[in-house]
Amino acid sequence: MTPLERAEARFGWKLVAPTIAILGLLILYPLMYNVYLSFFDVQLNGSKTFVGIENYIKLLSNSDYYSAIATTSLYLLGTVVGTTLLGLAMALLLRDPFMGRGLVNAAIMLPYVAPVISVVFGWQFLFDPISGVVNYLFVDLLGLWSERSNLIGDPDSALWVVVLFDIWKHAPIAYLLILSKLVSISRDQYEAAAIDGYGPIGRFFHVTLPELYFVLATVVLLRLIWNLNRFEDVYLLAPNVETLPIFTYYQAFTGVIDQGLAAATSVIQLGVLSIFIWFYIKKIMKW
Amino acid sequence: MLGKKNIKGRIGFAIAILLLVSFSLLPFAQILSTSLKHQYDWGNPSLIPQSINLDAYKELLGLTEAEKVEIPAAIQKILNNPKLSAEKKQAIAAKYTANDNLFPFGKYMLNSVIFSVGAASFSLVFSVMGAYSISRLRFKGQVVIQRSVLFVYMVGGVLLMVPLYQMAMNVGLASSLWGSAFCLFLIYIVQTLPVGMYMLGNYFRGIPFALEEAAMMDGCSRKEAIIKVVLPLSLPMLATVFIYCFIIGWNEYLFASVFLKQYPEFHTLPLALQELFVSKNAIWDRIMAASMLTLAPIVICFLLASRFMKGGKTDGGVKE
Repeated sequence: MTPLERAEARFGWKLVAPTIAILGLLILYPLMYNVYLSFFDVQLNGSKTFVGIENYIKLLSNSDYYSAIATTSLYLLGTVVGTTLLGLAMALLLRDPFMGRGLVNAAIMLPYVAPVISVVFGWQFLFDPISGVVNYLFVDLLGLWSERSNLIGDPDSALWVVVLFDIWKHAPIAYLLILSKLVSISRDQYEAAAIDGYGPIGRFFHVTLPELYFVLATVVLLRLIWNLNRFEDVYLLAPNVETLPIFTYYQAFTGVIDQGLAAATSVIQLGVLSIFIWFYIKKIMKW
Repeated sequence: MLGKKNIKGRIGFAIAILLLVSFSLLPFAQILSTSLKHQYDWGNPSLIPQSINLDAYKELLGLTEAEKVEIPAAIQKILNNPKLSAEKKQAIAAKYTANDNLFPFGKYMLNSVIFSVGAASFSLVFSVMGAYSISRLRFKGQVVIQRSVLFVYMVGGVLLMVPLYQMAMNVGLASSLWGSAFCLFLIYIVQTLPVGMYMLGNYFRGIPFALEEAAMMDGCSRKEAIIKVVLPLSLPMLATVFIYCFIIGWNEYLFASVFLKQYPEFHTLPLALQELFVSKNAIWDRIMAASMLTLAPIVICFLLASRFMKGGKTDGGVKE
């Protein structure tokens, strides 16, 4: 190592040290501490008693936990499929320049950046059983439902409202990722496919889709990673939809508080999340 | 490709765009519309109010005349008692003049601004340093740090809420007002730091090293080269990262509720709005007006940022 290289390395460490300290202290350490806590009976005031694997036994024999897993799976399935398909459709639709594309772009990006706390109230009003437009549309105008119903009040239908909400909010980011790849596909490939006799649909399946394969996989994986931990979008819109993060939150901070159990839930969830992230780093990461 | 050449294709295209834009904007239109409606108008499915009602906005922004509350005669007698200290008098008078229904929106907004702007500023400084280090300098352990940053970047807050709360409890921070606020501030820095590093790291890599080299040939130290060459070149990205971090803090609810729920005077907007919604003072027009006012700074920031972002739109795409 030359002195110059050594100086560079020292400078590098110096610059990155605060970041390492903060991230280590407030993310990596807590993740390990969480594993430790999962073996204790933990009170809100901080007192702990060692209970071994009792939290895990309690958790795995709790039927609510399994129903939270089922809800989370449906949520993930609905949001991943919905966001990816809508994102793809948007990218295909808005691919070629047209008048006013900038405005359209700004409009469809808005749900993505808007604060969850604000937009949930808009959604709640839309689905309101008395004043909401959705009930008006389906009951009074189209006559598809026989009576007005509280879609957010009933956990079964609320799940699908929450899924729709997530699609609305996160399709724009899928759209951006897909679009950036879509515009890089060369015209030549389409012309060649056209000469081979493929129509628009054939060209989509033989040129566009294979080219997009990688970016679509990225979108799916990222949606899985973010939505497995999604809390606010679900809790603030419909607190009765118990996906895993909400299940954990209730265990940790409301009703009969059991932070040890919540820790155990988080540990298992981190395990699943780590698999997704490992996939992402191995297969997709650009760093 | 979508057959836009003929009339039918054009119409289909226009309808599709219209549907898409309506789907995206409908909830916003609903919020705006309800915030402007009188109560008798709420059940009306039309988005256009029959008559404009600005009361909710006026109330939230403190533009309404404070209602004079009559102090009962008996209390007034006590207040006139010269033996009572001025301090006590004020306390008693406040009890009778305080308007419990009032939602101190301005205070909540200020709290939100302090938390999110403060955290975003710290985060920006640290992420410039960190991102430069891992993208430009070569040293052992660099790859491990890069991957760790990406890893922590994807660990959601939900997995950290219990251990972070317990840690704050152990060191005695969670039981005091300022301690809790400090914890939340640190947490916002941590939540935004990885995304800042990720975005800036990618950006720094795109700046030709020759520029810095030239500056160093002219006698600048490495530090000076960063400040005089790299940072000015990255201004648009720095602004974008700052706005991005600001938005994350502004929108955050989970940790605010864990740490600040019991301290109403420190509530941030998301927490305050949720509390308002579940309280007896929840009235649709007030909630919607508050939502609009919470939304407005973000929309403005977004429009500013999208002007900066023309180039690398997907840089922030992995974080939300």
